[in-house]
Amino acid sequence: MTEPRVSGASGGATHKDVVCPFCGLGCDDVTLKVDGTAVEAGEGACGRAAALFRRGPEAAPSPRVNGREASLDAAIAAAAELLAGARSPAYAGLAADVDGVRAVLKLAAATGGSVDHYATPGMYRNLATSQRKGWIATTFAEVRNHCDLFVVIGPDPAKAFHQLYARVTPKTGRFLDGARKFVFLGGAPSDEAKAQLEGSAVETIAVSDGALVEAVSRLQALVSGATPPAGEPDLAPLAEALKAAKYPVLAWSASSLDEDGDIVIERAVAVVDVLNREGRAACLPLSGKDNLTGAYHASLWTTGFPLRVGFRGGVSEHDQLAYSTETAAKDADILVWTSAFRPEKPPASDAQLIAIAHPATEFEREPDVFIPVGQPGLDHAGLVFRADSTVGLWAKGYRDAGLKSVADIVKRIAEARP
Amino acid sequence: MSAVRITNGKVLDPANGEAGVARDVVIVDGRVASADAVTGAVETIDAKGGIVMAGGIDIHSHIAGGKSNIARLLMSEEQRAIREPDGPFCGCGGGLSTMTAHATGCRYAEMGYTAVFEPAMVAANARHMHAEMADIPFLDTGGYLVLGNDDHLLDLMQAGASQAQVNDYVAWMLNATKTMAIKIVNPGGINAFKFNQRKMDLDETNPRYGVTPRKILTSLIKAVTELGLAHPIHLHGCNLGVPGNDATTLATIAAAEGLPLHLTHVQFHSYGTEGDKKFSSGAAAIAEAVNKNPNISIDVGQVMFGQTVTASADLMSQYRNSPFASPKRWIGMDMEMDAACGIVPFEYKEKSFVNALQWAIGLELFLLVEDPWRIFLTTDHPNGGPFTTYPHLIKLLMDRSFREEQFAKLAKSARKHSNLLEIKREYTLEEIAIVTRAAPAKILGFTDRGHLGAGAIGDAVVYREDADREAMFSRAAYVLKDGKVIVREGEIVDLVYGRTHQVTPDYDKSIEAKMDRWFDETIGYKASTFKVSDDEIRGGQGSVKHATARAS
Repeated sequence: MTEPRVSGASGGATHKDVVCPFCGLGCDDVTLKVDGTAVEAGEGACGRAAALFRRGPEAAPSPRVNGREASLDAAIAAAAELLAGARSPAYAGLAADVDGVRAVLKLAAATGGSVDHYATPGMYRNLATSQRKGWIATTFAEVRNHCDLFVVIGPDPAKAFHQLYARVTPKTGRFLDGARKFVFLGGAPSDEAKAQLEGSAVETIAVSDGALVEAVSRLQALVSGATPPAGEPDLAPLAEALKAAKYPVLAWSASSLDEDGDIVIERAVAVVDVLNREGRAACLPLSGKDNLTGAYHASLWTTGFPLRVGFRGGVSEHDQLAYSTETAAKDADILVWTSAFRPEKPPASDAQLIAIAHPATEFEREPDVFIPVGQPGLDHAGLVFRADSTVGLWAKGYRDAGLKSVADIVKRIAEARP
Repeated sequence: MSAVRITNGKVLDPANGEAGVARDVVIVDGRVASADAVTGAVETIDAKGGIVMAGGIDIHSHIAGGKSNIARLLMSEEQRAIREPDGPFCGCGGGLSTMTAHATGCRYAEMGYTAVFEPAMVAANARHMHAEMADIPFLDTGGYLVLGNDDHLLDLMQAGASQAQVNDYVAWMLNATKTMAIKIVNPGGINAFKFNQRKMDLDETNPRYGVTPRKILTSLIKAVTELGLAHPIHLHGCNLGVPGNDATTLATIAAAEGLPLHLTHVQFHSYGTEGDKKFSSGAAAIAEAVNKNPNISIDVGQVMFGQTVTASADLMSQYRNSPFASPKRWIGMDMEMDAACGIVPFEYKEKSFVNALQWAIGLELFLLVEDPWRIFLTTDHPNGGPFTTYPHLIKLLMDRSFREEQFAKLAKSARKHSNLLEIKREYTLEEIAIVTRAAPAKILGFTDRGHLGAGAIGDAVVYREDADREAMFSRAAYVLKDGKVIVREGEIVDLVYGRTHQVTPDYDKSIEAKMDRWFDETIGYKASTFKVSDDEIRGGQGSVKHATARAS
């Protein structure tokens, strides 16, 4: 299989149908112009993706040890030596393709320490319900074709998933009789979303600050046929619309919800549960940037736990507080930061820092070891997952800037351990 | 050249008519060779007092994919309770009914299994499945592609597509997903559930497409026959778990009209409606139908008592079962115009009338189906129980007095409804070798597996002879994978990885443009993105492509 490729006038190449690995929507119609090491994303890329794909013609930075340029071998040896003396490493970031995540889990099993992805706070709001009670969920192509009523709970997910409506809820759907209806409950469409939703029936139901739990609870009572105490806003029409719809979907972006997001999600799931007794309905819980979903899956099939895993004496255990990045960064003596998709800064920590990171990362303080790595879907091929959990995408490599993958670097560090 | 000689054992190799022959098994460069192929000093395994068999093959075990991960997520108590430490050959995981990938390979290998096939690969989830299967050590694997609820096929059928068009689509999907057989789960029913239909029998029509399960089944049976796939359609039929589904199963056997058809976890499809509880065993009639129809093969999906989790693409059925979830949590998911999944934790109890009768029905099937070449030993892992219960199941089959002791523990109401005590049959060792090795290889079309003749893959097992068959089959004395010793005295002693099996039947290339359009318009991403590339299977190495009549 070869991807369409057109030679550019300047000697560079233009690649079509490139998979975008960043937010988890899985857009795969991006055009990428690559000239030497310079990269510019064209058609198909949202503004955020274009910025993340962009590279200049300059050479990648070299690895550094204690702030001084070092060979890759020397940097790997330094990282291995630091880890050999580690009492309590925290493996954080974990923004890598599935191979990178596998390598980090394996290294952590050998050295001990905690493993977490930097975007798990949103995911854990979803897991609070899915793991303890369960839910009925759906995927993008089901939404696209079946969903006649799309209800957004809380802030517009398009702030994180820029082309959500264009890709997942386009104007036409195979089983739609009329126009798809959109309701924003306790949030409002962003400007970007408004452009994508132009011509669609969009209703916004305002909910006062902090009252989203109460509103969704009331919605649950209404769809159940109970008569809850009257409140503002009036949700009876929405309840009726949900019951009348053929395949209503309740969607949310867990990371955009407030502190009480876990309870909002629990109630939204309960609404879907009630609707499924007589008809069909599903939820679309969105979270998953920088292959969070792939890291979650690889962690489950490797350790049995959904990230926030601790390794002690070669045995893995799970504690969503103790092994969160936030806690681990405080307790660790070494922070191993992996971030291949974007120049995300590592969290503040007193620990020594090994950064296996995007070449453009700007650090608050110089890492003890810095090894720049390539991006899956640009510098090398790799498996990343879409935010709806089911679909995996093979993001290919399009340039050679001399940057290795997270998996390569981490495996070499593991091998170099004394 | 590497060579190993297994000596002093009795070779039990039903595919080659050897029932306990005292001969050496010699493996040279990963394949069985003639006993005189090597002379002089080679690595020698003393199998004194042991039985030598080919590596075990499980044709139906849910070992990977999104549904396995959901099961792990929901079964967190089990994960916390059962931990496996990191070691030179073992990964850092755990679980039992929800074992981690590495633990799955270890536990199977310790029992002498070297090939296990994932029977429900939903196309949209193919990449996940392949990535996870590659992390299972010791085992050859492969996936059966789930078709029959995908909107594209139903759309083709509604539009009156020719058999040739259906064949092209099936071949295209097999190539795109790197799978080796076709599985149908509740034909058309999973799709119908998305349109809120709650039940679907063999001749009921899908509300959207007007297509019946019978039509889906017969079209896909023809497709795999005409494409020349070795494995017949692997069918999880209509009405799983519904009392009265014995009639559906009998009608389904008739619907095959003499063409090869494999019915999976038939225990869950053998329920009558007789008796005061309107739930009874339909095993006798179904076993009789299997006996009379040589085109039919089955695996049992035996229920074993204890806590497990049920994971299926059949969301229509799992939604119906969800009120019985224990612990009380479950997850359902509609997937990508393709299929669905439903994961429901469940505890089978011997004092429950229904569970006890399910247990008895499974054993009745095992004992009443006469031809061991057409029945396979499965628990539909983890749905009837974890695969680690196989040695116990083997003892139930081989040891009548043990079976009767266990039967006596069942709920009295269930004992009254089962004829199990009237069945005197005990499986012989040779029959166990057939149902766990020789027959699975045959039904999957492997000519170089499931036996120990010259040219076979060097997957061999030595079991120490033990009157307690459960003990005998729990921990093999030796297991060799491709001629390398991976288990010694029940302990893992090396770490190797298997291969991924797939088929690549040819198709008319004019379908490409149609699939491009379908993906662009309906699925929402590119057909070219959907296709799994060779590079993705075990890092571009370790896939085995099997020939089909329509070779590509």
